[in-house]
Parts: sequence; C-alpha cells; structure tokens
Amino acid sequence: MLTHPAFAHDQVGVAGGLVSGLLHPVTGIDHLIAMVAVGIWGAQLGAPAIWVLPVTFPLVMAIGGVLGVLRIPLPMPEVVIAVSALVLGIAVATRLRLPFGAAAAVVAVFAIFHGHAHGAELPGSANPLAYGVGFVTATGLLHLCGILIGTLTRWPVGERVIQGLGAGIAGLGCYFLAQGVGALA
Amino acid sequence: MKLRFASGWIAAALLLAQSSAAEAHIVAARLGDFYMGALHPFTDLRDIILWTATGVLAGSLGASRGRWLILVFPLGLLAGLQIGRTFGTPPTELVDAAMALVMGLMLAAAARIPTSLLCAMAFALAAIRGAASGTDLGANTDRLLFAAGLACAGYVFITLTMALTVVFLRTEPGGPASWRTIAVRALGGWIAAIGLMMASLVLAT
Repeated sequence: MLTHPAFAHDQVGVAGGLVSGLLHPVTGIDHLIAMVAVGIWGAQLGAPAIWVLPVTFPLVMAIGGVLGVLRIPLPMPEVVIAVSALVLGIAVATRLRLPFGAAAAVVAVFAIFHGHAHGAELPGSANPLAYGVGFVTATGLLHLCGILIGTLTRWPVGERVIQGLGAGIAGLGCYFLAQGVGALA
Repeated sequence: MKLRFASGWIAAALLLAQSSAAEAHIVAARLGDFYMGALHPFTDLRDIILWTATGVLAGSLGASRGRWLILVFPLGLLAGLQIGRTFGTPPTELVDAAMALVMGLMLAAAARIPTSLLCAMAFALAAIRGAASGTDLGANTDRLLFAAGLACAGYVFITLTMALTVVFLRTEPGGPASWRTIAVRALGGWIAAIGLMMASLVLAT
C-alpha cells in the first residue's frame, strides 16, 4: 500500500531523449535557479546583455555539454555550480552593475560548468540527439523565463520582488555549496 | 414512436455488423510510396533541424535572396537521392552536425551571406539529406514516387518556413530592430548549440 511507482527506467528512444533533455535542467533545482538568475541579471543589466545572452548562452553551455559528453573532467563541478547560484543570486539581489565583458565572462564560466553536468549525465538508452535538442530548448526557455521575470524591474515593487528572489537564489546557492563541500550530510 | 426509434437502432446495428474494411486508402493504390517519401524527413530529427535552419536562414536574408531555394532545395534532394543510389551513402552524422553548427552560427550572427553561397549551402545540405533518406528505401519501393514525395515535402517545408520567417521579421521601414530579430538570432544560437552537441555525441560514440 505504501509503495511508490519505480522510476528506475531510463527514458528510451527519441521521445525519451526529448523528455529527458527537457526535464533535466528543470528537475535539478541548482541548475534551474542559476539559469533563471542569468536571465534576470541580463534583464537588469539591459542592452546589450539582454539580447546577447539569449543568443550566446545556450551555445556556451553546449561547449560545456561537449566536454561532459567527451568525459573531459572539470575541477569541482558540483561546488562551482553551487557557487554559480550564490554569485548570480547576489548579483540579482544587489543589482550588481558589471561591465558587459566581465558579466559575460562570469556567465560563460558558469554556463560551461552547468553544460558539463548535463552532458555527463546523458542517459544511456535515450536518443542522444533528442536529448541535446530537449536540453538546449529547456535551457533557452528557462533563460527566457528569467528575462520575463526581469522585466518586473520597470516597477519599484517589481524591483523589490526581484531582489528578494535574488536573495532566495543566493540562499539556495549557500545550501548547495554547503552540501557540495560536505558541510551538510 | 418508441418502436420506430428501436427499429432504427437495430437497423443501424445490423449495418455496422455487416461492414467491411474500407479500401479507400491511397496506400493500397501504391501511392503510399509517395507519402512515404513525403513523410520520411519528418521522422528524423536531423532533417527537421537542418531543414528548419535552412528555411529560417533563407527567410532572414529576405524574400529576394531566399526565393531561389524554392527551386534549389527540392533539386538538391533529388540529386542526393540519385547520388546515394549510385554511389551509396556513408554515415552523415558529423557533416549534419557541422552544417547545423555553421547555419546556426550564421543565423545567430545575422550574417548577410551572398545568394550564391546560400544556394550552394542549401543544395549541399539537401543533397546530403536526400542521399541519407534514400538509405531507407525498400526493394519494392517505387523510387519515382518516393522521390516525388520527398521533393514535394522539401518544396513545401522550405517555402513555408522561409515565408513565415520573412513575415515574422517584417518591420516598419526605418523602424528599430525588434525583439523578433533577437528571437530569430536566439533560435540560431539554439541550432548552433544543438549542432555542437550532435558533433560531440558522434565523436563520443
């Protein structure tokens, strides 16, 4: 009576690959909050970040995905992913105004680590191309969600809501960081 | 009244019970090979991604440059089908990935490539995908009907995708670049990212 359905089966085939790829960035909270935070920060920074980031972000993330698929290791991936949520959350909460080049570099480094995790966790039985399509689409849509949330900055109340969201993202980043370094069981 | 209603139901039930399978499908008349050719590209993600990239790239360059593809693309598919039949088809995964990457990057960069280069790229892509489509032909498949279906699908898909992109990007003369331009460039970034992932997955296996 108390049993739960087993989720041990890998998603298979093209449909399975698409579903796995679409769900992977959404089901990992650490990935999800970082992707949304990038979109919000881009909206806060305004032009050119607000339109350059959606064009280049999935591509840079795919470079990380390539490293993950090819099993090229990166140093401390879990810690860096947690740090990304922390840093991006702080950037949103404090409305950090970095020069565009510096902001793009920060986002690019984090994007490579996030992409690496997705690439390394490619399910064996799923159609790999479909997984890639799903993963890129989900990432782009999360980013778009962030940009849409970021448009709230036009209103003073919305700005405060966004800063609160940033603080929440930073808090979750702290939690994941503590987990990553083994401070939490 | 009730009796008439009941007898109507009984008559309908009897008619249904005596019904046999309809032979109205065109598949039975061997035109199924035409539909096989027309539907085949839409069963492969690589075709969908690459055809979309080609159509959107052509549309982003404007109707005057893109309209050449209405002829060039189906011809490329037919040429590829014939080349594949004559010389065989090697695995095309890496070339497909490279083409998705290049076309995606061109879209993302909003590159204004010349019409001749666009036509050459579209013809090469169509030829490669046409040759790949030919590998699934059975011994009993009518090649002419399959080729006609494939060419028609290419014509319809490229024309529609290009036209939709042209309409989507249409702005007021002298008006600022809209979010629509950014959306098309972002789509290019996505396609390039998918191409990059495709390449790595091929190399990994």
